[in-house]
Amino acid sequence: MEIIITGILLGGAYALIAVGLTIQYGVARIMNLATGETLVASCFCTFWMFNSLKINPILGIFLIAPAAFILNWAIYSLLLLPLVRRAKNKAMLEVDSILATFGILFLLEGLMLVGFGGEYFSYSFLSTSYTIAGTAYGLNRIVAFLAAVLITGTLYVFLTHTRYGTSVRAVAVDPAAAGLVAINVDRVSAFAFALGGVVTAAGGTLLSTFYTFNASMGVVFTMKALIIVIMGGVGDVRGAVIAALILGIAETATATLIDPGLTIAATYFLFILILLFRPQGLFGRQTT
Amino acid sequence: MLRIENMSVAYGHHRALDNVSMKVDSGEIVVVLGANGAGKSTLLKAIGGMIPAGNGFKASINGLQIQNKKPHTIVEAGIALVPEGRGVFGELSVGENLKLGANPKRARKHENKNLKTVFDLFPVLARRKNQLVRTMSGGEQQMVAIGRAIMSQPDIMMFDEPSLGLSPLLTTEVFKVLTLLKKTGVGILLVEQNARQSLAIADRGYLLENGHIGQSGLARDLIEDEAVRKAYLGG
Repeated sequence: MEIIITGILLGGAYALIAVGLTIQYGVARIMNLATGETLVASCFCTFWMFNSLKINPILGIFLIAPAAFILNWAIYSLLLLPLVRRAKNKAMLEVDSILATFGILFLLEGLMLVGFGGEYFSYSFLSTSYTIAGTAYGLNRIVAFLAAVLITGTLYVFLTHTRYGTSVRAVAVDPAAAGLVAINVDRVSAFAFALGGVVTAAGGTLLSTFYTFNASMGVVFTMKALIIVIMGGVGDVRGAVIAALILGIAETATATLIDPGLTIAATYFLFILILLFRPQGLFGRQTT
Repeated sequence: MLRIENMSVAYGHHRALDNVSMKVDSGEIVVVLGANGAGKSTLLKAIGGMIPAGNGFKASINGLQIQNKKPHTIVEAGIALVPEGRGVFGELSVGENLKLGANPKRARKHENKNLKTVFDLFPVLARRKNQLVRTMSGGEQQMVAIGRAIMSQPDIMMFDEPSLGLSPLLTTEVFKVLTLLKKTGVGILLVEQNARQSLAIADRGYLLENGHIGQSGLARDLIEDEAVRKAYLGG
């Protein structure tokens, strides 16, 4: 029970990271390998704002989100849109975008290493305990989880119940047909890429309230996000959320029952199982 | 009125369209007949902005220039395309597809009126509003595609082989809908292989052969024409 609750609390932040990636890949068709760096950059921003400006990390999201939106919009419009225009087919865009974002990964990681060095960072926010069903959990983890639920819920309502959100899903389903209903595909793609960046950055902020981070851990989170996205089915927000919770529980169970050093091994084990038995994702349909 | 002047499209060295000019008035059905590969789909896609046409051509709707514009701008200008293979959003519901149809700014304030029109034409869509489109039959998906185009409040509607893959009964049904739409004042540009039925509902027709316009004229004259009978109506 304790493992499940701890795992679910961890899964909340994972869900945001994966949902961010799945929106970027599903709508803007960019497999963003620098997604982990977006997350770490957001951790550092939150850390810096908390330490020097005394800004509450949860409220800090409202400052980080617009910044992440603008930055990701610019990255898409200046760097990635030319690749989209040039690509003759999906495979070509996939290769190009992986190479381009791989470059962004090293650029961002390098900048953060220069700025903060290689040490581990953490800060103390709401580090008191809160008791659920007789067991104490970090209050920061609970608050981060609740914030993640709120953000994901808002996003879900936006995507399913507003005209613009429906347009975003239409581009995900069929970009060519989206043009036929007067959707500006380039603009909606840029918006989706920026939105995905915001969700990922929010995940980073929440993660930093209870997690020890350093400048070069981004790639681990990119892998985790990729695993969750593939497990949940590419472009499937609901699938990503469930897969994130499963991953959170699996990692916590491994760390508690076997050995903390094996969490990444457990992650990959799960990944291999999914690839072997449900390559289309937990809820995906067999493609025809 | 839709007017096309000197449109040419090339795929590499292959000229798919060669100096095509035509016009479609409001309230008339114009059919473009041609064999497979004659350039019929290319024509509609080029007008809709989905593929680039060469320089030097002109396209306008009601006097507004639309050559070399993006698809979303052309829909805003009042041209709706019902593409071959329908181009509906299979992963979205019927209701969402229709709502997206009303996405152009010109269509938003007419959304309720147009939705009523669509549901009157295709009552089955009203009953299946929440169904995912990919789980529907080919005929029903065609209705969604036509309905979605109606939702965008078009002045000109273009249909790329709407009878493709439909039963004779459904084909008759779809052609009847085209006649009803024409009566509302919409101009219709129809691309078809089914020459007999499409000439029967059309006002005028163009014959597209290897990328250029051969014959053109009133539909009732084309039906009687000896050469047309031989090539398109089976003698």
